[in-house]
Amino acid sequence: MSRSPCRLAALGQVSALGRARADVYARLISGDSSRLTLNEQLVPERRLWLGEVHDALPEIPVSLARFACRNNQLALAAFESIAPEVNAAIARFGRARVGVVVGTSTSGVGDAEAAIAHREKTGVLAHEFHYDQLEFGGLARFVAEVSGAHGPAYTLSTACSSGARALASARSLVALGVCDAVVSGAADSLCGLTTNGFAALGAISAGVMNPCSANRDGLTLGEASALFLVTGEPGGIQLLGVGDSSEAHHMSAPDPEGRGAETAMRDALADAGLAPEQIAYLNLHGTGTPQNDSMEAAAVARVLGSDVPCSSTKPLVGHTLGAAGAIEAAFCWLLLAERHGGELALPPHVWDGVRDPALAPIHLAAKGERARAGADTFVMTNSFGFGGNNCTLVLGASDPP
Amino acid sequence: MKASLLRWSAWAPGIESPAAWETWAKAPAPLPATGSPEAKFLPAMLRRRCTPLTRTMLTAAFGCAEPDELARLRTVFASRHGSINESIGLLENVVRREKLSPATFSHTVHNAQAGLFSIAASNRAASSSLSAQEDSWTAAWIEALCFLERDPREPVLVVIGDVPLADTFAPLVAEAAVPYAFAVQVGTAGRGPVVELELAELDSPASAPPPWPPALEFLRWWLSPEQSLEQENRSSRARWRKG
Repeated sequence: MSRSPCRLAALGQVSALGRARADVYARLISGDSSRLTLNEQLVPERRLWLGEVHDALPEIPVSLARFACRNNQLALAAFESIAPEVNAAIARFGRARVGVVVGTSTSGVGDAEAAIAHREKTGVLAHEFHYDQLEFGGLARFVAEVSGAHGPAYTLSTACSSGARALASARSLVALGVCDAVVSGAADSLCGLTTNGFAALGAISAGVMNPCSANRDGLTLGEASALFLVTGEPGGIQLLGVGDSSEAHHMSAPDPEGRGAETAMRDALADAGLAPEQIAYLNLHGTGTPQNDSMEAAAVARVLGSDVPCSSTKPLVGHTLGAAGAIEAAFCWLLLAERHGGELALPPHVWDGVRDPALAPIHLAAKGERARAGADTFVMTNSFGFGGNNCTLVLGASDPP
Repeated sequence: MKASLLRWSAWAPGIESPAAWETWAKAPAPLPATGSPEAKFLPAMLRRRCTPLTRTMLTAAFGCAEPDELARLRTVFASRHGSINESIGLLENVVRREKLSPATFSHTVHNAQAGLFSIAASNRAASSSLSAQEDSWTAAWIEALCFLERDPREPVLVVIGDVPLADTFAPLVAEAAVPYAFAVQVGTAGRGPVVELELAELDSPASAPPPWPPALEFLRWWLSPEQSLEQENRSSRARWRKG
């Protein structure tokens, strides 16, 4: 039985690469990592590179002041770009038929830090702090309030696979007939908790992250939001495949052989009804930690072989944690949307070029590399999270007949 | 949206067996505000890393499936607050510019309970973790339906639970703050007793919810002779029906 259609009908996004679609696409395919910035404030006695959003973010409407936090401002920046399409969907289907499934790993914890700092000084939490900013469910509620969607609204939080998982559930809500359209994606914001937490784990690179290199030494953190309008219409760019798995291994380290990653990728291919050689490009999870890159390369080599072009786009925007699955699906969406002349421009793998002989051989995309884009073009994106939660998505686009 | 409720298990302080829940459901009363299970079924090494919430949710989960099912079923974990109580200490470390404990940090992800369940049960199946404020129970059921949509062959183990928020944030949240967990196996319709969920627009103002969590109100209803239950969510009304 073939799956019912799932169209990623509209995209809004913001990351260190910017907000405007043309700028983001140009920076993406040129491998522009110049948008990362050095930060000396967040982690004591430590300078670290970050993928901070530079764009001015929209203010939270006064009527929704209890949701006012940077995380929701990022979501609002993404939402504003798809507001016309979401409004049209609500007008067409009714507000009860439009749902919200979003991912985050931080929610507004950065603003909770400020509230607790205020309490340390004064004995009381900052009065502008509301629990809606901190709790994970607050992101879905905010997107529901700001969009006017009255269908089911919930937040998925499975660490770094949250954003990919949200899109998977949005597809199911439409296929089940629970919703006719879903606003789905993720938002994650830089804060003291995640930067200090990953620093304590020894997971942050001394310089800019250097994925798959023999010299790799950890990740670079970032922040982002990407929101799609997901519908059951055919055509356009489709979410064709979802694969997911748990590791049953360790809370903060993947199975060294990448079995969980392999299951997710194989299941996503099977779900999409595709053979490995049909994948034109893989967006790696590619965090730049020694463990992730070696297990992921092993899994990729087993599932896709050594010819499919791959890259990590995290050196451009940082690892955006709960938003990574959504922003990287957004990058895949942009590649497909901008394909022309039978070609797909690829984001290059940005690194120092020093191969790790211990890494399984995979094809890391070079600068300027293009993949052949046939009448049907398929791309894949990997997301693997703490707690051992893996999710792989396959997106595809077909030329009009 | 019809599905089957194949098996359930629940834990609250002093109400730990199916018979005790049957008794509670006949004369429901507010639940104790403190207590957590020992979770002796967990290996000692793993148990030491478990917070009260993790022990509570895993007690309900392990009570709701046979050993082979525990290792095989897909899972949906739902919690309004998750590990926020443990995050408070980390947030204090951050504002005092102290070093964070890496183990505590990696155990405060919202899917910590799901991750530890996966390790304890050697379960490598798909798993989701969610939060939807007061609507978390309805959302958990819907997320299970999403898993069934993708693959209807096996049921999904749904586990919801919370513990009372610590004093830092408790005054900010009006809710029935009790430690509890509730687990159900949800399968496609036709496998067992049927539950139908319908979502409707909120057409009238919400009435006051009962003084226990929505998931336990669902359990009370499930154990009662009542045919239907209505629960208010933030922007919709959940209508549950048996049969």
